[in-house]
Amino acid sequence: MSLTVLIGLVVAGIALIALLLHLTGRSRRRSLDQDSARGEWLRHFPGDDIREIVVSNDGHAAILLTDEGPGLLWAFGADTVGRRLQDFDLIEDGDSLLVQFHDFATPSVRLTLDDFEKTHWTNLMEPM
Amino acid sequence: MEHLSYPDVVQYAVPGFVALILAEFLWIAWSGRGGRYETRDAVTSLLMGAGNVAIGIALGFVTWKFFMMLWRLTPLNLGHSWWVVALCFVLDDLRYYWVHRIGHRVRWVWASHVNHHSSQHYNLTTALRQTWTYTFTFMMVVRAPLILLGFHPAMVLFVGGLNLIYQFWIHTEAIGRLPRWVEAVMNTPSHHRAHHGRNPRYLDCNYAGVFIVWDKMFGTFVPEQDDDRVDYGLVHNIGSFNPLRVAFHEWVALFRDVLRPGLSLRQRLGYAFGPPGYSHDGSRDTSDRIKARHLARHPEDAGTPGFDPAVPRSK
Repeated sequence: MSLTVLIGLVVAGIALIALLLHLTGRSRRRSLDQDSARGEWLRHFPGDDIREIVVSNDGHAAILLTDEGPGLLWAFGADTVGRRLQDFDLIEDGDSLLVQFHDFATPSVRLTLDDFEKTHWTNLMEPM
Repeated sequence: MEHLSYPDVVQYAVPGFVALILAEFLWIAWSGRGGRYETRDAVTSLLMGAGNVAIGIALGFVTWKFFMMLWRLTPLNLGHSWWVVALCFVLDDLRYYWVHRIGHRVRWVWASHVNHHSSQHYNLTTALRQTWTYTFTFMMVVRAPLILLGFHPAMVLFVGGLNLIYQFWIHTEAIGRLPRWVEAVMNTPSHHRAHHGRNPRYLDCNYAGVFIVWDKMFGTFVPEQDDDRVDYGLVHNIGSFNPLRVAFHEWVALFRDVLRPGLSLRQRLGYAFGPPGYSHDGSRDTSDRIKARHLARHPEDAGTPGFDPAVPRSK
């Protein structure tokens, strides 16, 4: 198989699959509520004792206060990713809060929060 | 027989891969079961697959020159009759088992293989989420015995391609369990789902490529359990769809650890070649420790597949 044909096949295949998935609603982000946030956090950190859960108004992120300290859970496509809030920077950027983790695999997450949430979450995210 | 050649079967399989991904997705969309698809996850997996093929074209000469050097050294030549190809396929699958097992137990090789496990989904695109850095693991040396035994390098690469193609179709939730004799001998979607699990039970099991018998022979077989649904992905799932981060994140973490100030040589070697999760101060968990912690919380699981019979003391 010539390289030109192979490249054409790969590009067309990826484009076709991406378009099909997007048009059939497979780009929707995961929505969270109290129960699903708890379940997802325990999936990532099975031994934790969760004391409080605050889900963002847009439903795409949650702060969890645990016996190990505060943690952040957020929608990652149709799934979630969770991180303990131990080594991070917070940057206010318009109507969002950018959390930078100093981690090459998970560099940052942008949280869409209203003004009250931004202040509240900034306080909650303080390490114990 | 210096110039024996076989087709690059993986390249010829590309149209089949695309067709089967479309078929699997349409089946899931139509039936409402058999797996999940997410756009960015799938595109990342497909780009990883494309990158793997591109790296293979760009760096394939390294492996080929090494194999041809061995071929010129060996006095043995088994020829290229069909039974030699068949024997080569089986022995190369044994080679795959050990390379794969090393890939999960030695961080230097895990740094290359981790990307294949980095999706929280399990569908046919996951099969294509392949490494870009295999050459740098130097695991091609595990194929040296095959060539020194008299299997031509072209044949060894050919059967390796067939092995990879076989493993494509087992990355699916659309197929439940196959007839008992198939499940007993072959690697199947059920066995490989367990391999992709991040549940403590399924860590470090089912390394087989084509024949699951290797896991049964070497004590690493864990059957998929109906009461412990497989949770796909990594113990610490990554938060990026960027293929560059997917491909290199564990290498970056490895070198950061190895170069940390104040470590002894033994500790640096532990970070590079110890099991994933090794840490000099015990601040991280290896798979053995994750299983032990799970048993401390769920002693009722002791002795069930994937767990030792004894409940360890909480660590």
